[in-house]
Amino acid sequence: MNTIVAQLQRQFQDYIVSLYQQGYLDNQFSELRKLQDEGTPDFVAEVVSLFFDDCAKLISNMSRSLPDNVDFKQVDSGVHQLKGSSSSIGARRVKNVCIAFKECCDVQNREGCLQQVDYEYKMLKTKLQDLFNLEQQILQAGGKIPQVDIN
Amino acid sequence: MEFKSAEEGRIEKFPVGMRVLAVDDNPTCLRKLEELLLRCKYHVTKTMESKKALEMLRENSNMFDLVISDVEMPDADGFKLLETGLEMDLPVIMLSAHSDYDSVMKGILHGACDYLVKPVALKELQNIWHHVVKKNIKSYAKNIGTSRQLLPPSQSDLVPGVSKKRKDKVNDSGDDDDSDREEDDGEGSEQDGDESGTRKKPRVVWSQELHQKFVNAVQQLGLDKAVPKKILDLMNIEGLTRENVASHLQKYRLYLKKIDEGQQQNMTPDAFGTRDSSYFQMAQLDGLRDFTATRQLPSSGLLSRSHLTKIQPHLYSSINLQGMNSSGFIQQGHHQSSSNSANPFGTYHSTLPPRIQNVNLFQRTSSPLESLQFPRSKCSAYMGDFKSIGDRPIGGGFVDSCMSYGSSSTSLPSASTNTLMLQGNYTQPLHTVSSVNQPCIEKTLSNAASPNISVQGLSRLPSQSWQGNLNTTRFLSNSSPLNHAFFPDQVTCAGNNLGDCSSLVSAGNPGGGMQCEPQLLGGFLQNINSLDGQKWEQQNCSMVNNTFGNVEYPLPGDNMVFRENNAARSKGVDESLMSPIENSGNVNSQEYVGKPSTMVSAEMMKSGKPENAHIDNQNQHDVFDDIMNEMMKQEENNGMVSVAARFGFDSFPPP
Repeated sequence: MNTIVAQLQRQFQDYIVSLYQQGYLDNQFSELRKLQDEGTPDFVAEVVSLFFDDCAKLISNMSRSLPDNVDFKQVDSGVHQLKGSSSSIGARRVKNVCIAFKECCDVQNREGCLQQVDYEYKMLKTKLQDLFNLEQQILQAGGKIPQVDIN
Repeated sequence: MEFKSAEEGRIEKFPVGMRVLAVDDNPTCLRKLEELLLRCKYHVTKTMESKKALEMLRENSNMFDLVISDVEMPDADGFKLLETGLEMDLPVIMLSAHSDYDSVMKGILHGACDYLVKPVALKELQNIWHHVVKKNIKSYAKNIGTSRQLLPPSQSDLVPGVSKKRKDKVNDSGDDDDSDREEDDGEGSEQDGDESGTRKKPRVVWSQELHQKFVNAVQQLGLDKAVPKKILDLMNIEGLTRENVASHLQKYRLYLKKIDEGQQQNMTPDAFGTRDSSYFQMAQLDGLRDFTATRQLPSSGLLSRSHLTKIQPHLYSSINLQGMNSSGFIQQGHHQSSSNSANPFGTYHSTLPPRIQNVNLFQRTSSPLESLQFPRSKCSAYMGDFKSIGDRPIGGGFVDSCMSYGSSSTSLPSASTNTLMLQGNYTQPLHTVSSVNQPCIEKTLSNAASPNISVQGLSRLPSQSWQGNLNTTRFLSNSSPLNHAFFPDQVTCAGNNLGDCSSLVSAGNPGGGMQCEPQLLGGFLQNINSLDGQKWEQQNCSMVNNTFGNVEYPLPGDNMVFRENNAARSKGVDESLMSPIENSGNVNSQEYVGKPSTMVSAEMMKSGKPENAHIDNQNQHDVFDDIMNEMMKQEENNGMVSVAARFGFDSFPPP
């Protein structure tokens, strides 16, 4: 039993470190994890799912506005929001493409940027899902989630 | 230095429990911000809508200690919120994802206390309480400046919640308060100078003329369709804000309802139970001079303290008069210098300070009744009730009586009405008397610590407590025997039931003056304690009504809102009510509206100082605000159809 837990914990640790190293996550994510404790055991999952829902909504709004009209204001506001939320939770890659998006000048570029945002958030979603699954496995095996110190 | 948490009433040290309003239209950021703030042990109310935030702020200016808000919100301008917060003297912290110099500069120039760039770190939030203290220092200094008392701001004074109340207390108990009030009387201006309270919002005085315009506008629109915005437009008064109109409208509506009820009721002595300080005010403004009968003006402390001074100086009367049986009052008059009002609250001996102008019992100078009064108290007393009850000539003259006291008949009914305050039926009067008494008594009862305390406490006493404690019959029977001058040494509690009374009245007895107080007051105190919780809960609910004042739709609609709010209301963490996700904005807002007020009132009520000070804290512009609040509370306490109930509340869930 112990070995299984230890193994899972190992896996978890490695995985999360890799996410940081690959730039999917940054220290804001660590901050987020710190806010989670016995009192708020699902805090990270909650915020992250809020974020993904938000992403989906904003992206779909933006993709609707882009081709039809030139309502860049709405698009820009959507990007701004995404940038804010991604930076809040430490979704580094998503944040970066949002920053790039802001610099897009015309429709074509914007559409390209939007696609990138879409791609990145979905990617992150998958990764974090795997991470949470690992967490669940650890907990189910009776272990504790390791505190991972990201430097 | 204590600050009672709004949630459980436990006492925590500031900044724990500091009430923060967090506004951000981004749900992810908002949720994280909330958690960060909770981690700092603040009390958090969050909303994604700037509009809701504004409503909450306006509803009760004392609801929050600090506002933290994102500046770029599509549905509203973060700067608008900033301005509102500043008006209320609240520290506002701006949040933005923009860190460029210009944006930051703009925020600071607009008056933000601080400008934080997202993503915000926990450390930054841990220090935001500094801003609250700094603001309080400024307000404190400002208020203190007007008072002769030059107390250095103590820690507790600067701590929100406790501090504001204390500040007011300091102000009120200072000698300068009366003079401030007097000056205000003289001014009759629309701007309030340094009134007790920490808010700088200019007060609007609803003069007869202004009120008339208001009424015209309302009538023109039709009461059901009268919304503050339209009324404001119709009135076309420069400087008048929608909020002023909204709160005045709320009061006006309540007043009208009360009139209806009152007319249905019989104008009997029992009707004294109605507290209508606000009605009276409205009535006066409306020129309803014969709005007599049940309408006594149970001046609440606030009334006398802040509003009456401004509006109706003649509404004042001596506190002590109230506490006394009719004859007591009258006789009192003979003793200008003596303080022996058979004031159950006060000392029987201490001389009332020259400026006892609060507590008015019964107003209406027009009354031909004898006037009772304490030296120098501002007068006016209307004992309309007496008229209906039958008059009993009150023997003896009263000093300076501005107040005409209904001629007190020797009959019991009148006696009872005379006693008013003490009457079982009376709820508010007693209550208000005590509350009004408070300021005076604070000054006068220098030699009686307990009366002070009890009086203060009394101000919060629900009427029932009076009934319970005070054997009203005591006073009731004081009619005839006490038809003579109430000389301290002569008081004869002769007559029926005066056995108990004698303990009180024996105050007349120089030596034993103070004795009765403890007895009387002890009972009060007891009641205060026991009823506190219950009362607060009720008041919680009644306080919620305040939101109506700020809502733009006719009351019936409000009922619905509040029903939901009530249902959703809980004393737990805001989180439970806040759906972070993009839910029906409606639901969110309603819940938000309901909850904060609950918490606020709970907080206010639960403060260790159940005095009027907290009411003074309400920086409502409208004169009737405090009065209405008192009235509503009283109603609650009375178990009569509460205003809240009329608004749709059926019952109040227990805490």
